[in-house]
Amino acid sequence: MSFDFSLVIDSIPKMLMGLGLTLQLMALSAVLGTVLAVVLLLMRISRRWYLVWPSVTYIYIFRGTPILVQIFIIYYGLPQFEAVRDSIFWPILREPFGCAVLALSLNTGAYVSEILRGGILGVDKGLGEAAAALGLSVRQRFIHITTPIAIRLATPAYSNDIVSLMKSTALASTITLLDMMGIARTIVAETFAPYEVFLSLAVIYMVMTFFIQKAFGRFERHMSRYLKREN
Amino acid sequence: MTLFNVIRRTTLGVAALAALTIGAAAQAETLRVGMECTYAPFNFKNADGSLDGYDVDVAKGVAEILGADLEFVCQKWDGMVPALLANKFDLVVASMSITDSRLEKMDFSAPYRISVGRLVGKKAGDLTLFDDAGAPIAAGFDGLRIGMGRATTYASWFEAKLPGANVVYYDSSEAMYLDLVNGRTDMIMTNPMKAYLKFLSKDDGAGFEFVSPQIDETDYFGVGVGIGLRKGNDDLRDRLNAAVLELTKNGSLETYALKYFPFAIHNEGWEG
Repeated sequence: MSFDFSLVIDSIPKMLMGLGLTLQLMALSAVLGTVLAVVLLLMRISRRWYLVWPSVTYIYIFRGTPILVQIFIIYYGLPQFEAVRDSIFWPILREPFGCAVLALSLNTGAYVSEILRGGILGVDKGLGEAAAALGLSVRQRFIHITTPIAIRLATPAYSNDIVSLMKSTALASTITLLDMMGIARTIVAETFAPYEVFLSLAVIYMVMTFFIQKAFGRFERHMSRYLKREN
Repeated sequence: MTLFNVIRRTTLGVAALAALTIGAAAQAETLRVGMECTYAPFNFKNADGSLDGYDVDVAKGVAEILGADLEFVCQKWDGMVPALLANKFDLVVASMSITDSRLEKMDFSAPYRISVGRLVGKKAGDLTLFDDAGAPIAAGFDGLRIGMGRATTYASWFEAKLPGANVVYYDSSEAMYLDLVNGRTDMIMTNPMKAYLKFLSKDDGAGFEFVSPQIDETDYFGVGVGIGLRKGNDDLRDRLNAAVLELTKNGSLETYALKYFPFAIHNEGWEG
């Protein structure tokens, strides 16, 4: 078994041509997923059963099934119905990109919602009581007291989820998208050299993870600046 | 070399010499033809055990022209070339593509079936994709999405001829046909024989048809399928070539193909 370094040098720039698509998938799904997560969270903590139950069910379904299965159901399953193909959603669902973003957003939304709930549950009850004593309304307490602290508490788990979302974008290659993984698979099919190509790809993903972790590390320090002791 | 091998070689040599002498002396030579016998619709067994298929018809047609008797030998694909070289049979008529690596070990007749690619798309699309000479028109492919197998000959053809085209790669033909049916792609490029057998002749493919001529550039798709034989039989090869040419010209190859496909699968323009 020989390791062909020239193949590594050749394939890395080719794979980086898919970096834009990988980043688009990740960024769009992260934003849409987080918006969805906030909606699910508000439903979940609303204490109204007709909002709580749909939210709990949704989260259970999307956390309980593999993301690959979700992608396949959306990409291959939905177009089986004539109604879907005639609907106004078809221009989005026709595109593999639209399907991938939809699946990743729906999936990550379920996870992030639980992460945010964990953050809110972690906020000291005493703070809310103190705020109530000062005459803040329920809404004011939630927005100005609970939320900032909950965000800080949820950040480490959230950054973890963004990293796993970034890696999940590789699954978009199974529905014909030429993201970095899709390009890698094409190179492998042409060169029969999975070792060199996939190893190079793994390094690229690791570098991306490094930058995501750095960014979240900064954000976390920023959010917890009030905890720092003045020297 | 072991003693056993020496003896075997010598016996084989003598046997071959004897066969040759007898063959020349007898009225008709017997050609033993190797094929899989399980590769429908090219070579397969009917319910009654008789062999049928395009390859079988070609073998019979060639034998008739050569005035030879035929004897079919069923042989598994992975042992096909070794069996030919070991003189288990004289000819391979088994849908075997002519490739450089095979030509190092054996000879081939002229192709009796071509390797081609063809586009399949929706019926009644009034698209102008190819000029009269059969060359693709790049502008005609604007706005079209074309599906094909990842890292296939079709993909390299598209990359070379229509570099700007919007192509989509698939790892399975099921997924490729599904996306075509669902309207995610406008057309696919594939092997026309497979497309006909697996798709166009079925319910799913009812609204679809071939939307291009056969694309047969040998640089991309290879020369095609020929009759394989051992090296050093130049006389036999020449006679096989003449026979294939005759079958091409008298329309027999087309008749054979039309039994299974609505189109010919040989090089119609071949002049020898």
